[in-house]
Amino acid sequence: MTLCHSIDTLSMAFLDDELAAEERRELELHLHDCAGCRDHVERERTDLTVLRKALVAPPAGALLKARIARALDAEDAAAARRHRGRVSQWLLPGGAIAAAAAAILVFVGLGTSSPHGTSPIARDVAKQETHSLPFEVQGASTGPWLRANFAPVEPPQFTEPGIALLGGRLLPNGIANHDAALLSYLVSIGANRVTLIAVVLKDLRNTEGLDEGQAYRVGDLILHVHDVDGVPAVTYVDPARNIGYVFASERLTASELLRLVVSTDLIARARQTR
Amino acid sequence: MLAAREKRAEFERQALVHTDALFGAAYRLTRNARDAEDLVQDSLLRAYRFWDSFEQDSNCKAWLLRIVTNTFINEYQRKKRSREVLDAASAEQDATDGVLMHADATDRQSPERALLDRSVSDDVQRALEGLPDDFRTAVVLCDVQGLSYKEIADIMQTPVGTVMSRLFRGRKLLAASLREFAVAEGYVKSADDKAPDGKAADDETIDLAKYRAARSAHEGSNS
Repeated sequence: MTLCHSIDTLSMAFLDDELAAEERRELELHLHDCAGCRDHVERERTDLTVLRKALVAPPAGALLKARIARALDAEDAAAARRHRGRVSQWLLPGGAIAAAAAAILVFVGLGTSSPHGTSPIARDVAKQETHSLPFEVQGASTGPWLRANFAPVEPPQFTEPGIALLGGRLLPNGIANHDAALLSYLVSIGANRVTLIAVVLKDLRNTEGLDEGQAYRVGDLILHVHDVDGVPAVTYVDPARNIGYVFASERLTASELLRLVVSTDLIARARQTR
Repeated sequence: MLAAREKRAEFERQALVHTDALFGAAYRLTRNARDAEDLVQDSLLRAYRFWDSFEQDSNCKAWLLRIVTNTFINEYQRKKRSREVLDAASAEQDATDGVLMHADATDRQSPERALLDRSVSDDVQRALEGLPDDFRTAVVLCDVQGLSYKEIADIMQTPVGTVMSRLFRGRKLLAASLREFAVAEGYVKSADDKAPDGKAADDETIDLAKYRAARSAHEGSNS
């Protein structure tokens, strides 16, 4: 066996740097002695240089990179919708209250409503959703704490199963010049946990923009749904006590949040007093 | 939400940095900037959807190139064939209807797109046109992307010997087509200055593993 017989294979592997060190040394010694194989390797080297130079491709354009970014954004949004869809599958069959709430929710086109309107207060509250500051009070002590430190109101209780009041804290800067208290709830969805917050504001002079967004009638009450950059918020104003409530959850859809809010004792009590 | 943001950031850090390289491969595989853009976008979207299956310590570029190659072979080629059938049917319909068509369909496209399409009509792309897909893929992965025989074999799911054979034959065909380019670049004196290498290598002769086996057998018989 001579290296000349295998020069096609060896030359190619040599130029592609695929030979083992010993094979490379052996070939280099052979090329030193064999003019025919040396010429062969040099021709191959020239052809390969020409080929690689010719095949250099242009870089991707800025427009393509922007298109890819948009496609990934759309993929993220679709994944978020699928996730919320899974939440919805769990929540919607959950008990008669949700079904009853669904039946009585009627979208009403009030004059002040705008399809994607968002009150500054709802926007401020939705931002609180992403903050993770410590609670001042936890669990069952939250109700007495709220009455003693904030206002004579009860924390809204959800009648839907799997939703627990975790605790609360006062918001030191308030919201839009109003004293405000934040209550946090844990919504259990199978193995997943979703947080939901309710911010209570006192001394409202009027609805102060909480009646922007889409209006939904529940019996004779009106709730408003706001979209804060994809985070839904549901607002309700108790005009008798000048108290406002803003519910928000980054992980729920607007309709899921709305149905949960309707299932609270807050709404049930408000309807009974009318 | 946090997990989704982390996934996106990690994908941008590890995968999107290879966009230029992927476009280079796609451009040479499809021979067309528009199709290359579609191929890269489809492949990256697919990679993003299957990001969880990417083994974090492995070669991300090779993983992405595998997706580009598979997408090209499995989907792009099929789409292209359907489009050609539709184009042919459309042309036939236009002729039958006696509709006066623009000679250059790019007139109806954006100026940027038209420029892009014209710029790819070069000698290299024409030379690539003449190559079978398997040969072109092997050449692109090795000579555009610089992958090793083993990495190419993994992507194309063929033995290393087959990769070498495809590379060898693909390069020979391309070298013949690129003779004018080589003259223009000053690598050879004239288009007639061909290498006196008339041997047509085939799968039997180009295989490092076979060479090594023969060498071992030879050394064994001598000892």
